[in-house]
Amino acid sequence: MENMFLEFFSNTGYAMADYRHVIMIAIGIIFIYLGIAKHYEPLLLVPIGFGILIGNIPVFKGLGLGIYESNSVLHYLYFGVTAGIYPPLIFLGIGAMTDFSTMLARPLLMLLGAAAQMGIFLTFLGALALGFAPNEAASIGIIGGADGPTAIFLTAKLAPELIGPIAVAAYSYMALVPVIQPPIMRLLTTRKERLIRMEEPRLVGKREKMIFPIIGFLLCCFLAPAALPLLGMLFFGNLLKEAVVTERLAVAARNAIIDSVTILLGMTVGASTQADVFLTPQSVGIFVLGAVSFGVATASGLIFAKIINLFVKSKINPLLGAAGVSAVPDSARVVQMVGQEEDPTNFLLMQAMAPNVSGVIGSAIGAGILWSFMN
Amino acid sequence: MPTDIQTLKSLDLFEELTSEELTQIAPMIHPMKISEGELLTQRGEPATVFYVALKGNFIISFKDGQAFTLHNRGDIIGWSTIVTPFLYTGTAVALTDGEVLALNGDDFLQVIQGESSIGDKIMSKINPIIAERVPYFSRDKARRDLPPAETE
Amino acid sequence: MTGLEAIAAHNGWSIAIVGVTIVFTGLAMLSIILSQLYKVLDFWENRDDFFKRLKRGDAAEDLPDITVSPDMQETVRQYQMLADRLGEPFSLPKLLDFAQKCGLVNPHATINRLLKQNVIVPDGEGYYRWHQAISG
Repeated sequence: MENMFLEFFSNTGYAMADYRHVIMIAIGIIFIYLGIAKHYEPLLLVPIGFGILIGNIPVFKGLGLGIYESNSVLHYLYFGVTAGIYPPLIFLGIGAMTDFSTMLARPLLMLLGAAAQMGIFLTFLGALALGFAPNEAASIGIIGGADGPTAIFLTAKLAPELIGPIAVAAYSYMALVPVIQPPIMRLLTTRKERLIRMEEPRLVGKREKMIFPIIGFLLCCFLAPAALPLLGMLFFGNLLKEAVVTERLAVAARNAIIDSVTILLGMTVGASTQADVFLTPQSVGIFVLGAVSFGVATASGLIFAKIINLFVKSKINPLLGAAGVSAVPDSARVVQMVGQEEDPTNFLLMQAMAPNVSGVIGSAIGAGILWSFMN
Repeated sequence: MPTDIQTLKSLDLFEELTSEELTQIAPMIHPMKISEGELLTQRGEPATVFYVALKGNFIISFKDGQAFTLHNRGDIIGWSTIVTPFLYTGTAVALTDGEVLALNGDDFLQVIQGESSIGDKIMSKINPIIAERVPYFSRDKARRDLPPAETE
Repeated sequence: MTGLEAIAAHNGWSIAIVGVTIVFTGLAMLSIILSQLYKVLDFWENRDDFFKRLKRGDAAEDLPDITVSPDMQETVRQYQMLADRLGEPFSLPKLLDFAQKCGLVNPHATINRLLKQNVIVPDGEGYYRWHQAISG
């Protein structure tokens, strides 16, 4: 009986755990804390945080419990990540909840969304220089797009073994937008620039908003067909929203579907961060490069806005460039916050949504390009 | 600061006044800078100031959303200061930054009533303007008297 | 392999340059098309008027075509949309009020410019009409 008891104990998590599990569980708890107490992207950090806890309970290999065991329930749920199913569904929901009006009102601001994607490609080069394989470097670079689903989608296609660290890095940096971006924004802009007031956006007609997803889809996907799964769903979701007659489907996409998928995606991505595959020097490199990527993306947007100002009569507040990273709507909110620190009566939020949503399109195109090059 | 005689003489409203008459009224007329969006008169309020436009553009609006705009030097605003019941019939707002001459309503009325020569000359200029503008506020009154269904 | 050597060996420079160029091209093309989209839609919505004027050829006598300076085109569009909501003829004070509520910049001065450029014309009854023949 004593032997049975000892055998059972040796199979418990208490006996199998080592310091790495403790570290990962601590990270999971920090994620949950940041989500609940600090309200940093709670809808993402809480599922991911709890997923980290799930993934780091030491389990006896061969019982079909771990996420990397082919017959486990978690593995089936994780299939949605590795097969690239969840990210397009998330994009469907994002499309169904995004109002592209401000972007349509001032399409010039879309270029800020394009400029911020420089971070992706510069980090790709940085990762190559640090010795990562090209497919891994591409997956790391996409963190700079600040778009979790896009990062997961591309990594699932190019470097599935890195999904855990890349997804966690991408979502961590998205959650930390209010911490990471403001110092870069203040550093690269003058007070005078931060005080620039933007012209009110024109009113955008319903018909214009209805036609946009079709034109946007055709144009972007003919240019970068590899972006089809993401952009197809994004624009489809937006058409459901704007078409009015499909309101029921739009409501389902932006509520039930995106919420369900976010739970599954967050939890399984969290669970994929098992200590033995996550706590590696490679992960540290990914986190460092991810931070660099995010910083470069922010700086690229800011600098490009300043360059545009050299040529246009109606000046752009360069803070808007920081919203080119596609963390919607967090980076737009940060632009508003930093702008209001200088002038509490200056409202940049609506204007910042233009580069913000175009950043989503830009990062999806960027992902499509990298995917097609790596193939 | 009173207005100089030359400025007054150049305005249609005062062009028939002699130099002596202009000298007499000049001290009561004061130039005023006006900012875009500034309210000059409010419909239904006691008419206390009469304005003559020197620079700028103005809109005068009435009930039921009717309006006309003034863009010329010498256009007048606030003739109700000299006509009973001495209540502004329209709301005047500056469309752009500008400059006006302002006359205190009581002083203006006193001059017109007390100095027949000045009164006649000025009223001969103001009367056609009032006649032009009457449709706006008289229709306003007529509509006000109609039952609601017919005003739609 | 690390450093610049690794970048060159994996064709990194080309991928990065081509990648950035494609992203920019894609969004720039979309930006250009979107900036013209509303003009095409406007034309489509007013096509009947356009063809009527084309057929009659007399509209120019009643209401000459006016050219709006490029810097005013966007403003004209904004105010036309507001005026459309008010219907024809519309009340100028209501348009002004509407523009203020929408937070448009300098609504008074803008309406004055539109009046002076004959984009907005009085109907003689105290109300106003939008000039039907405006070109950029």
